[in-house]
Amino acid sequence: MSEPRAPAIERGIRIVSPLAIVAGVYLLFAGHNNPGGGFAAGLVFGAVVILRAVAGIGRPAYAFGLISLGVLTIAAVSIAPVLWGDLLLDQRIGSWELPVAGEVKTGSALPFDIGVSLIVVGLVSALVDGLSGPPDRGPWPQTGRGGK
Amino acid sequence: MLWALFSAHLIAVPAAVAAGRASMRAGLLAAAAAPAVAAVWAAAELASGGGPATAELVWVRGLDVAIRFRADAVALMMTLLVAGVGALVMVYAAGYFRRSAAGGTRFPATMLAFSTSMLGLVWADSTWTLFIFWELTSITSFLLVGHKHVEASVRMAARRALVITAGGGLVLLAGLIVLAQEAGSSALSGLAPVSGGAAATAGVLILIGAATKSAQVPFHVWLPGAMAAPTPVSAYLHSAAMVKAGILLIAVVGPAFAEVASWKWLGIAFGVASMLWGAVGALRHRDAKLILAWGTISQLGLMVALLSAGTAKAVFAALALLFSHALFKAALFLVVGEIDVRTGTRDIGELGGLWRSMPVAFAVALLAGGSMVGLPPLVGFAAKEAAIEAVLALGGVERAVVAAGVIGGSVLTVAYTLRLLHGAFGPGPSTSVASGGLLMTAPAAILAAAGVAGYAAISSVNRIVVPAAAELSEKADAYALIRWPGLKTAFVVSVLIVGVGGVAGALWASRGVGRLPAPVGASAADGIVDKTLGFSPRLTALVQHGSLPVYLAVMGSVAVVAAVVLATEFSFGHLVWWDSPVQAALAAAVVGAALAGAFVGSRLGAALALGAVGFGVTGLFLVHGAPDLALTQLLVETVVVVGFVLGLGHLARRFPPIKNTWRSVRIAIAVAGGIAVAAALAASGSDPAGRPPVDDLVSGAAVEGGGKNVVNVILTDIRALDTLGEVVVLATAAVGILALARARSQGADPS
Repeated sequence: MSEPRAPAIERGIRIVSPLAIVAGVYLLFAGHNNPGGGFAAGLVFGAVVILRAVAGIGRPAYAFGLISLGVLTIAAVSIAPVLWGDLLLDQRIGSWELPVAGEVKTGSALPFDIGVSLIVVGLVSALVDGLSGPPDRGPWPQTGRGGK
Repeated sequence: MLWALFSAHLIAVPAAVAAGRASMRAGLLAAAAAPAVAAVWAAAELASGGGPATAELVWVRGLDVAIRFRADAVALMMTLLVAGVGALVMVYAAGYFRRSAAGGTRFPATMLAFSTSMLGLVWADSTWTLFIFWELTSITSFLLVGHKHVEASVRMAARRALVITAGGGLVLLAGLIVLAQEAGSSALSGLAPVSGGAAATAGVLILIGAATKSAQVPFHVWLPGAMAAPTPVSAYLHSAAMVKAGILLIAVVGPAFAEVASWKWLGIAFGVASMLWGAVGALRHRDAKLILAWGTISQLGLMVALLSAGTAKAVFAALALLFSHALFKAALFLVVGEIDVRTGTRDIGELGGLWRSMPVAFAVALLAGGSMVGLPPLVGFAAKEAAIEAVLALGGVERAVVAAGVIGGSVLTVAYTLRLLHGAFGPGPSTSVASGGLLMTAPAAILAAAGVAGYAAISSVNRIVVPAAAELSEKADAYALIRWPGLKTAFVVSVLIVGVGGVAGALWASRGVGRLPAPVGASAADGIVDKTLGFSPRLTALVQHGSLPVYLAVMGSVAVVAAVVLATEFSFGHLVWWDSPVQAALAAAVVGAALAGAFVGSRLGAALALGAVGFGVTGLFLVHGAPDLALTQLLVETVVVVGFVLGLGHLARRFPPIKNTWRSVRIAIAVAGGIAVAAALAASGSDPAGRPPVDDLVSGAAVEGGGKNVVNVILTDIRALDTLGEVVVLATAAVGILALARARSQGADPS
């Protein structure tokens, strides 16, 4: 960004980022029974990405990787049931006794949600990648009107 | 077992890529393993003679959407050819390419991917499975034909092959849909006979699809062009594998169309025209590979005509020809490839005297060419005898038409084979020859020797061909290939064919090779392809105007039109002012913010006003008791507002001035769109069809999805397919943004 950075804002964002990521992870896991879910979690992570870009802390470099990983995760979760004879996207639910946490119940919806959140972060990162950067990179390429 | 073989092929593709990293040769040898196993399996299965192996992977049971494989006798014969010739050709290619050849990671894997698609096509037992693998072979073959893609002519040839075969695939799909409807099942085995107008339509569509794949006149124009491919590709795709797909299709669905006259006559027309025109083409050309390609068109025409005639004897003869053709044509292509590598040319005008310098290749060419002509002691002789007998046993007009084509085509076949062998190996300028290798010689020799062995042990060939023919036509098991027919009419006819063809060939060859023939039809086909591809950007430019305000105007107008349907359902009876006064306050804030956004002159102000609208709506969701929606809306608005701040740095601070007329149009559309959406929402709540399914969803979410948050269980479980579609759209959009950003940062024009 061409504007001078505000140190207070920058420091604030640095402090808030890890907290926001924890909150996003909470939303990801809570989504099954409480408000939240993969989309919301992805947006929280995306907000971190975009705020850091605004503050000039760093630009996302992994947009394509995040999107690919998300699509692959979702494809795997979707197709896996077919391989053992269930229907596409059929969900499996299981619960385990864990030493500290007690009974933990989860299902294949969790990796599905993780895939969704990865794609959403990837989308936001792609947007930031497209929008930020020095203005001297020139205008957007002209499209439409059948231009050659 | 079918799954094991198929997965082995799939796993071998990345393995071939990895091996190809080391060298082209390693990649090809790695790729040859899986087809070799499949060929051995098919041979063992044929020897044991058990029931057909089946395998299926069901996706949607109610719609009969599934991948279904069934390896019956026909499929086993084709597996033996496709996988066996495939493995041999890949070994050959390891010798054909130079050790340092580029494309080692690409070519072997693509070759194996083609082989895998072909295997799926051969085993397919449902129309849908067949179509999927049919198109996969078109795509992989496009990549293989375009291997030397740096040359414009190669790209053109590959594109032509793709447009014709994939376009034919679409025609085929239409035909298969009609056929599945008529026959009442998508299964290909035991297809019920169909008749009537719909069946005739299906028959014509399927035949056209098959004709594009099997290069039948007038769709043959792609095949000679496809000779731009490396010779191993031609030896595989254009003799044993891809061009046989159309023949296989006609053979498999043919019994269902036994009663359909248009099927029979269109097929015979394709076949006879291709037989004659293909043979004429083979006589006109000087490039040995093109001679073989045109010869393939002719031989495939013979099979199409026999299958379309449809008698048990004709079907049997067609399968026998299919088998022998795969052996001798692949061997001939391999020899031509070796000549090309070792002498640097394939022009029979420049070649000559190779019988002395390449004796093994000469022997292979003699055996394979003899099989093509139909000489004993070669398996091609027995197959050709069966074909002529089958033709003579036909009745009426059919007999006259098919016999004229077969006899005429066979005479020309003798002539062009003689001309090819004479031109390359006979007397002439002695061509200098580089040393060859065993990798190239051995596969061709094996294929040629198979022709001799098949004649010597004709009963083993019968064990392959007869059950396959019996699968298609019940009475066909009465026939068998025989070594020596004795002095029957058919034998006399074939002696005459060889005699007349031999004399004609000798005369034609002594006349010299002549000038290069002018291509017929290829330029017309290219013209059609060019026009089609040229139409696409013009249509795109018309629909995808590129102006954001125009897009928005179109979307708003469509929303208005769509809402008209709901307007008839509108009633004021169920509307209330508010559930709680807080909603009124929030709604007022939303409206105020929206108005502010419309009138504010600066871009940043408008973005903030839009954000205020969104946060107001978030409040409405909260008051209504939808925390999930509220949370999502809040997050979306936050990201969007910050995104605006980022993006607006690239734009002027204030909106550009616009003309008054355009402004009034936009206002009209905006107002109408807003009213339409509001009215549609109000109407959709006015007349619920029965009891709302909320209770079912809540209990269903807890039982099936194992969660209490109904909204999220709907998203990830009950309606997970919708979510899947949505995130794919998101991911596609994101990749598009990345591509645009990259094009901009490189300063390159994306178009």
